[in-house]
Amino acid sequence: MRNSEIAISLLKVTKFYNKLQALDNVSFEVKRGDFFAFLGPNGAGKTTTINCLTGLSNHQSGEIKVFGYDATRDYVQSRRLIGLCAQEFNFDPFLTIHQLLVYQAGYFGILPMEASRRADALLARFQLTEKRNCKHRALSGGMKKRLLLCRALIHDPEILILDEPTAGCDLELKFLIWDYLAQLNKEGKTIFLTTHNMEEAEKLCKTIGIINHGKIVRIGDKKTVLQDKSLEAVFLEVTGAE
Amino acid sequence: MIINPIGVAALSQREILRFLSVASQTIFPPIVTSILYLYIFGVAIGQRVDFSYFGLSYLNFIIPGIMTMHIISSAYENTSSSLFIARWHNHIQEVLLAPLSYFEMVLGLLAGGVARGVLVAVGVFTVASFFTPVAILHPCVLVYFVLTISVIFSCAGMIGALWAEDFSMLNLWHIYLIVPAIFMGGVFHPLQILPRMVQVISVFNPMYYLVSGMRYSLTGVSDVPLASCAVFSFFMTFSFFFVTVYLFKIGYKLRT
Repeated sequence: MRNSEIAISLLKVTKFYNKLQALDNVSFEVKRGDFFAFLGPNGAGKTTTINCLTGLSNHQSGEIKVFGYDATRDYVQSRRLIGLCAQEFNFDPFLTIHQLLVYQAGYFGILPMEASRRADALLARFQLTEKRNCKHRALSGGMKKRLLLCRALIHDPEILILDEPTAGCDLELKFLIWDYLAQLNKEGKTIFLTTHNMEEAEKLCKTIGIINHGKIVRIGDKKTVLQDKSLEAVFLEVTGAE
Repeated sequence: MIINPIGVAALSQREILRFLSVASQTIFPPIVTSILYLYIFGVAIGQRVDFSYFGLSYLNFIIPGIMTMHIISSAYENTSSSLFIARWHNHIQEVLLAPLSYFEMVLGLLAGGVARGVLVAVGVFTVASFFTPVAILHPCVLVYFVLTISVIFSCAGMIGALWAEDFSMLNLWHIYLIVPAIFMGGVFHPLQILPRMVQVISVFNPMYYLVSGMRYSLTGVSDVPLASCAVFSFFMTFSFFFVTVYLFKIGYKLRT
């Protein structure tokens, strides 16, 4: 990993889906060790930004760097540093959840013995050990959310990207995830979180960015962005929502 | 160049175990079909066919073709179904997010198709040995053709899986292009017995060179010089492989 204090950097990133402009000259930086909340209404460009950052989408112009590595040119190095907890449950239906984690670790260059040890530790941490040999279809929605997190963390990434990780979770699971994310951040992981839950963002994050219609409309540390208002009030103000 | 060998090995292992876990659907059907072809065409009909001018029994003539036909189908079906299902369920993202170069991704994904092609070839050869003594006159040539044919059609399967939008499109190439081309490629007949016009057309059929190469490796007899078959399959292998890598690189139907 390059010795960069900037974990994520986007410079004038533009992305079109046919004629629809999803990102319009998006530029921002996330510092190493930050807990960054990336907020916006549905369709604002949050998931598109994540997809461009992780290489799941091609952007038309601009530059994306992950710890100094260009996400397009040095994609192998940049992907090694990122763990993505996606919004949808996209698991291989043929594998048990333990196999799924071991293979995922393997893709990141981790040997099977170590991969199995990490998988067991994560399954225990997220209370999934009993389901170790089940396929993901046998899991409840909350368990699948936890499995998404396990998969994102299996290679111990420097940056954890979470796309609405607590959507649809019950209170107990939400608090479990919040505690774990806070702990990971304390240990030095950079966390990039998108959420519609203002309480979650306000409670966990140090820096906040708000995107609307593909443009960054507000960004800064939590104190600067909030200015003694609630996050919900600021969000409604800058997105023009009622 | 491979910079993440563990990653490639993990992906290859997943692809190989996937088809082995359903061997009753992936390995045994082509072997059973081969038994039927060998018995009906090779034994029941073949005994009544005078093939002495070719220097082989009809049964020995069709064995390499049947092996080729099943290598092609198995390799194609393996990668096309695996990649298409991965796209359908979107768990292809597991691979796309990994620190694997596009070259490595394709290498890992085609391992399943190649392994299945090789296993089916061994299976068909083994059952054929029960019908008639089968010699391998040129073992290195056999290995070369089994591997190149497997790679070509594993890559073709991946290209098909990327192109297909739904399950019905997935098998279009196989049903309407590959299967007719195999049957017209000299699996069951030598080129010389066809009408002159069809002979000319057959020269442009890629399967003809692959079947001929396989036939030479087992029997030492071929319609086409070995060098032509070898060069052609080498060219096809590299072309299909690099087209597949290119499609991964541009993210054709993989990235939005």
